[in-house]
Amino acid sequence: MTHKVGIDAPDHLATSALIAENARLQIRLAEAEETLRAIRTDEVDALVVQSAVGPKLYTLQGLDAEIMRFRGDMLAQVSDAVIAIDKDERITYINAAAEDLYGVSASQALGSTLPRVYDLRWFHPADEVAAHTDLDDLGEWRGENIHIRSDGRELNVESSVTVLRNIGGEATGRLAVVRDITERKQHENKLQVSEVRYRRLFEAAHDGILVIDPGTSKIIDANPFMTQLLGYPYSDLIGKELFEIGLWKDGRASQDMFAKLKLSGQVRYENLPLERVSGEHQDVEVVANLYEENGRSVIQCNIRDISERRRSEAHVEMLMAEVNHRAKNLLAVVQAVAYQTARQGDPATLMTRLSERINGLAIGQDLLVKNQWHGVDVADLVRGQLAHFADLIGTRVSLSGPTLRLTSEAAQAIGMALHELATNAVKYGALSNLEGCVHIAWKTLPGNQPTFDMSWVESGGPAVTVPTHKGFGHTIIGRLVEASVQGVTQIAFEPGGLMWRLTAPMDNAIAPANPAKSASPASAVL
Amino acid sequence: MTNAHLEAVEPAGETTHYVLHLYVTGSTPRSIQAIANIRKICEAHLVGRYDLDVVDISEDPMRAQSEQIIAAPTLIKTLPLPLRRFIGDMSQTDRIMVGLDLRAGGAAIPTERS
Repeated sequence: MTHKVGIDAPDHLATSALIAENARLQIRLAEAEETLRAIRTDEVDALVVQSAVGPKLYTLQGLDAEIMRFRGDMLAQVSDAVIAIDKDERITYINAAAEDLYGVSASQALGSTLPRVYDLRWFHPADEVAAHTDLDDLGEWRGENIHIRSDGRELNVESSVTVLRNIGGEATGRLAVVRDITERKQHENKLQVSEVRYRRLFEAAHDGILVIDPGTSKIIDANPFMTQLLGYPYSDLIGKELFEIGLWKDGRASQDMFAKLKLSGQVRYENLPLERVSGEHQDVEVVANLYEENGRSVIQCNIRDISERRRSEAHVEMLMAEVNHRAKNLLAVVQAVAYQTARQGDPATLMTRLSERINGLAIGQDLLVKNQWHGVDVADLVRGQLAHFADLIGTRVSLSGPTLRLTSEAAQAIGMALHELATNAVKYGALSNLEGCVHIAWKTLPGNQPTFDMSWVESGGPAVTVPTHKGFGHTIIGRLVEASVQGVTQIAFEPGGLMWRLTAPMDNAIAPANPAKSASPASAVL
Repeated sequence: MTNAHLEAVEPAGETTHYVLHLYVTGSTPRSIQAIANIRKICEAHLVGRYDLDVVDISEDPMRAQSEQIIAAPTLIKTLPLPLRRFIGDMSQTDRIMVGLDLRAGGAAIPTERS
């Protein structure tokens, strides 16, 4: 048995191999028959024949196939994506540009339906309806939409779609030529954003802006502020030359400006007179630039109203002159105060007295500076000079009077007088004990010559003795203050306390405009 | 073991992955028809389990030589074994489906002749 198996086994294997080989040959034969059948039944396009230089392709369809192939080769070369679909919307042709555009290979795409390659999104539902209508009625459609690739990337495309027809005129599919316009769209969007942004700047600018054609020197655009500045409506500005709108009334000067501008690309005029439509004059600063816009030159003219700046500069100049004048005056006063303080009184207390007087002057100066040299309210001046006794105001020190603004000169002199009176009251008068009071009052007296009247009345202090000599303090509350306002003072050492009174023509003491200040009139007791 | 032994062993099941190569010549009507027809069959019966590689031998004739292609369109079923060839525009659905081991008979998938 074993022997028999040993003899039969190779025979058995040989038989199996023969059967397998037979089966394989039968399959090959069937395939060969299949090939012949396909050729006979016209199902084959081409035959591949091996030659010495490699496989050679023989097409079996004559001129039509060659023409088709030629067309295919042409489509393969174009830079736009080309896709053909059959009537079931299966892709029958895709060129290399379309493979690149959609990130698919032809072998993946051919025979697949379009959504395998991209999805469509329309900008408006009506666009899709219009496209189908055009294809049905005209056999072609051209337009823009969005193709969404299978990786999710969105492409802005411009497509041209044509209905393909067979010889009988029956629709067999469609051919689409697709151009990627994503970059162009992004660029257009950026331009649009830029246009909105700069248009807003142009329209909201608080400088007048004119755009001028350098060829004709005529205005081609103007912003709203320009119409406000000149008083012309927009329509009246367009087409006009600069000298016609009140800028460079002299046409020759205007031509000079254009000539300079063409030479240097920019001109600047810091102060030009501008005449509004109403005839009113205005100072303006003009900066003009020449630049290229889409290959043609334009001039942008920025016109700034500098009236306010000019007023401000004039005010600063006036203030500087005033400060200079005041500083000189003040130095003269300080010099006089120092001289008089040194000449009279105890040398041991010279520095203290001088320092206190200068301090009193400084308080008045601070108030003047605060009010930009437009004078000082009487109440503010009194409170400033009595700052050391602020806790007594309302109890032992009372103030009463209306809101009145002293001139700078009056404020300086009356301030010094108040300082002397307060110092005297603390040292010898009503504020030197625990009971004394001071009443400070001011008012205006009407009449042919209105008068300013101010008084300092002490009461309840120690018994008053008339001083044996008159020091510089007396000069300050007397002659000095009188001289500053051409007024008259009364100084009485009454038994009940010191009484000081100043009367002066109102025009000399009170600032003429009396600029409105919010301070309320001093009440009976502050 | 010979190829014939190997080819005989693996009946195609419903999870079997198919690898198909379709050789065409440019965009001729029969090539286009063959592509459309085979894609229809695959999408109807092999969804998610097939790779179809469409090769244009007018662009790459050497591919024709390596696969011993003698006419186009030709479909080659590389996997599952056994390797099978089909010539023509793939409009004979029944024959192709039997050849692909997808079914023995039954309703034909409507395909088109050019």
